[in-house]
Amino acid sequence: MTTSLLELRGVNAFYGSAHILQGVDLSVQSGERVAVVGRNGVGKTTIVNTLLGIAAMRGGSVHMRGESLLKLAGHTAATHGIAVVPQGRMILPNLSIEENLKLGASLRRPGEWTLDRIYGLFPMLAERRRSPGTALSGGQQQMLAIGRALMANPDLLILDEPSEGLAPVIVDELEKLLRDLTETGVAILLIEQHLRLVLDLAERFYVLSKGHVSETGLMKDVDRETLQARIMQ
Amino acid sequence: MIINALNGLVYGSLLFILASGLVLVYGLRRVVNFAHGAFYMLGAYIGYSVAIHAGFIPGIIAAAAVLIAVGVALDLVVFRKLADRDPLVTVLVTFGVLLVLEDFVRTVWGTGNYAIDPPALLSGVVQIAGAPFPIYRLFIVFASALMAGGMVIWLRYSRSGLWVRAASHSPVVAAMCGVRTNVLGPLVVGLGAAFAGIAGIVAAPFLSLNPSMGAEILVMSFVVSVVGGLGSFGGAFISAMILGQIQAFGVVYLPEIAALLPFLLMALVLVVRPQGILGNKV
Ligand SMILES: Nc1ncnc2c1ncn2[C@@H]1O[C@H](COP(=O)(O)OP(=O)(O)OP(=O)(O)O)[C@@H](O)[C@H]1O
Ligand SMILES: [Mg+2]
Repeated sequence: MTTSLLELRGVNAFYGSAHILQGVDLSVQSGERVAVVGRNGVGKTTIVNTLLGIAAMRGGSVHMRGESLLKLAGHTAATHGIAVVPQGRMILPNLSIEENLKLGASLRRPGEWTLDRIYGLFPMLAERRRSPGTALSGGQQQMLAIGRALMANPDLLILDEPSEGLAPVIVDELEKLLRDLTETGVAILLIEQHLRLVLDLAERFYVLSKGHVSETGLMKDVDRETLQARIMQ
Repeated sequence: MIINALNGLVYGSLLFILASGLVLVYGLRRVVNFAHGAFYMLGAYIGYSVAIHAGFIPGIIAAAAVLIAVGVALDLVVFRKLADRDPLVTVLVTFGVLLVLEDFVRTVWGTGNYAIDPPALLSGVVQIAGAPFPIYRLFIVFASALMAGGMVIWLRYSRSGLWVRAASHSPVVAAMCGVRTNVLGPLVVGLGAAFAGIAGIVAAPFLSLNPSMGAEILVMSFVVSVVGGLGSFGGAFISAMILGQIQAFGVVYLPEIAALLPFLLMALVLVVRPQGILGNKV
């Protein structure tokens, strides 16, 4: 078996004494498109928060390219080539649009993504580069959050509910963008409640329920109804 | 009249340098640092002792160097260790640091007043609108402008400045982008402390040295930060300039209540605009 890009084994994670993730197993290969689905509050965001050191991991392990990430500090994931488009976008209002993008490139990982390429992809960001990031509409802020993550030239892009609040045409654009991205070898971990983007984009899925993976499989083996039913179980 | 306004400008400049250190540290650590006044005092005394033996410039360098070390230590030992506690605990500890440093100064230098002459190059007066004005006071304004300008340029145009601004708003997002937010703490607190220390020695030939100077200027810097809006540099600048003028004109025209005026201003601002002149952003 080849080593996975990202691998979580039996991860247990806590907020204070609240035990949220109870033995999560999950892996992502290079260039793969993987989805995590599940109902409200089952712990999807907590997977991200564990990688970011916000939720405390006690028990289990996280490996990136076979290397064990023992102490998950806030910057650990970024250092290992993981970029995050967080739930709620988290654009910094005290930075301009351009500064938000530059923040994404803090580690100066080499790669094809530069300010110019992001501006080429999202021209409306270029037009308003000096405005505060929060002057944008919700959908535009989502583009900025994606641009910020791409500026890191990541090997793994984690998106937490990226289609939240986006118009259907924009979701289609997003799907194409993410698909093109994986052609270049970037892996995608897509966390979603809405199945549309998941069904169109993902190759593999994990269903999360109450802090553990209740089901996993290939996207081509399930249809919308089956997947929906398993989420609701 | 013009001389009064100039004196107000000199005092306002000093207040701004002190308040900007408070603002910077508050922005990143969300802690009101009571030890800040002690940094100012310590800078003045250390600078003084070095200056009388080795000259004024070495005095400034020594004050800055020692205070950077004190600031870094304060961040590593206090702010970082207490980061998950109630902020009040941290505030109380900084208050303790203030008391310890005051005692330290009393023990080493005694309780008397010290005065130091400005360096020869900057002594003497210029005629402004027909009245003599000490050159050294203009130097204070110039030095403050240089420090403030340097800080603004650093925050706006450098990578580490971007990181400090990002982490001041959201440590989580900064770290998510790969910023080692733990390194920013010592950097910012060290810089803030160095600014206070330099302000202390630069102010020494203008104000005199005594062990209560730290607490006095601390109170004024708090007034500046609160009036300006905690966490806002622009606000701190405006309110430092206003308070400088109030101080300068107050002692001339309203000597009986001059000492009260800054607090009246603060009360007024808090009633009319509780978030301060320029809200709550770095
Ligand atoms: N900071 C926190 N402290 C304590 N509990 C939290 C915290 N954040 C989330 N929780 C709890 O942890 C559980 C899992 O939350 P999480 O955000 O991971 O869910 P989610 O699957 O992402 O939900 P959603 O679909 O609403 O985004 C929820 O019960 C939530 O109330
Ligand atoms: Mg979530």
